[in-house]
Amino acid sequence: MPDRAVPARVSTPEAKASGVRPFYGYGLGLRTEHFDAVLNEKPAIDWFEIISENFMVAGGKPRHYLEAIRARYPLAMHGVSLSIGSTDPFDYQYLAELKQLARDIEPIWISDHLCWTGNGGINSHDLLPLPYTEEAIAHVASRIGEVQEFLGREILIENVSTYVSFANAEMEEPAFLAEIARRSGCRILLDVNNIYVSSRNHGFDADAYVGALPAEKIWQIHLAGHSDYGDYVIDTHDHPVRDEVWALYARSLERIGAVTTMIERDDHIPPLAELVLELDHARRIGSRFEQANLAACA
Amino acid sequence: MITLGSLEQQFLSHVRGGATFPRECCAQGLVDSDIGLSIYANAYGSRLAEALENDHPILSKYLGDTLWAEFCKGYIESHPSQVRSLRHFGAHGAAWLTQHKPFSKHPLLAELASFERELLDVFDAADAERIDWTVMQSLDASAWPGLRLGFHPSLRLLATATNAVDVWRALKDERSPPTATSSSTPARLLWRDLEHISRFRPVEADELIALRSMFFGQEDFATLCERLASDHAAESVPMMAIGFLRRWFDEGIVCSVSSETGSGD
Repeated sequence: MPDRAVPARVSTPEAKASGVRPFYGYGLGLRTEHFDAVLNEKPAIDWFEIISENFMVAGGKPRHYLEAIRARYPLAMHGVSLSIGSTDPFDYQYLAELKQLARDIEPIWISDHLCWTGNGGINSHDLLPLPYTEEAIAHVASRIGEVQEFLGREILIENVSTYVSFANAEMEEPAFLAEIARRSGCRILLDVNNIYVSSRNHGFDADAYVGALPAEKIWQIHLAGHSDYGDYVIDTHDHPVRDEVWALYARSLERIGAVTTMIERDDHIPPLAELVLELDHARRIGSRFEQANLAACA
Repeated sequence: MITLGSLEQQFLSHVRGGATFPRECCAQGLVDSDIGLSIYANAYGSRLAEALENDHPILSKYLGDTLWAEFCKGYIESHPSQVRSLRHFGAHGAAWLTQHKPFSKHPLLAELASFERELLDVFDAADAERIDWTVMQSLDASAWPGLRLGFHPSLRLLATATNAVDVWRALKDERSPPTATSSSTPARLLWRDLEHISRFRPVEADELIALRSMFFGQEDFATLCERLASDHAAESVPMMAIGFLRRWFDEGIVCSVSSETGSGD
């Protein structure tokens, strides 16, 4: 693929070297249902995020469309199978395939989740919660270090929605995430919807959560819809982003400045144009904070 | 204090419907821990069932809600996922159907599962350049006996004893499926064409011999002719064999030719 899109807005080389987070604008999750629309309608989207595992296949339509879309848009790789918190040994075949995909598509970055997905060789295919303990910090930070060493690049780690917390917790979730980022050198993918969902389920202050994180480490934001059952909230990605999450997003940007942002939709997927309109809302909120970023990058 | 590894083992056991995760290991937030745990347990079953349904949309339709749910429950219990991608979770579905009643009494079901699984494999198999018949026209006559073919990575050959593929076709077209019966052809050939469309067609007995020889056996053209000669007059065999090769080239499933006396692709 000789000709490829480059991010429309990037930090200067000097800013990159200084570790200032780059700003790539506003993206969407790339979904099979939208492959043709992306190529035919050429929507005004700054970048797309792919689920890495969906393209870790030998060939056929998935790889065909991936190449065609990569020629026009920057891509980020977002994984669901790293199982960074599992006490099982790493699946190095998976890591090798992940690295090969990164070689193939040259993503802006690679991310996965602060969770575990399986144990004892059995995969739940879910993002399961970790206990916020020193033992888990040491384990996860060490594993992120291994992954980063193997991939030859820093990764982004995302906070997940949780429905259970553990009695042996020694700290709150943001302190846990911040310390893992500090020790491992990874960056943070802040899922604002997940913060909202977990804050409702566990009764913590979502704004205080954001405020407790190192702002300079937050390189990307996820937005998504959830299902509110009154007594509890589930992260379902099957609705538009709800007003309370938009509000938390705006308050978060006030604290941390404009951050590369995307919207995830995994079920009840509407036409692409509808998601582009929804993304424009994120763009309008973010634009109020972009000047500060540009000043930092100039 | 519970270690991370032990916590994960016990939590996963609960999620899978095994021993209950100790309530005293959970902190009590606004949501009761029993509800929180049930959210994970429900998601586990529904996610795996959804993966099976995505991979087997026609089998699920053919079985109907009750039997499909029975299949999902039984399969998920006996095959905890040991694969990284849900894409491969249902890989043992056909075998499971042959081993468990009442499904095992209907061999069509396992064949239907196998057919849908083959379609999945065809869909995302590796890409490869295809070659056309002009390559053969420039082949020296002395190269023919030692001729071997390389086939497209998406090519699959499925033996069929029942009319599962006819049932699949009917349900795909939203027609009433035919009554279960034996297959009118011994096999189906499946592949992905140049436009990334999955194709399949029946394979008759003579072509099945040819495919088993040159595709599975990677045998040369002379050996293929010997195999066909056991059922046919010797003088008719070369033209029959060349006819098969020509069809395979025209369908775009040949990617290379080689011969002990020369090669080209």
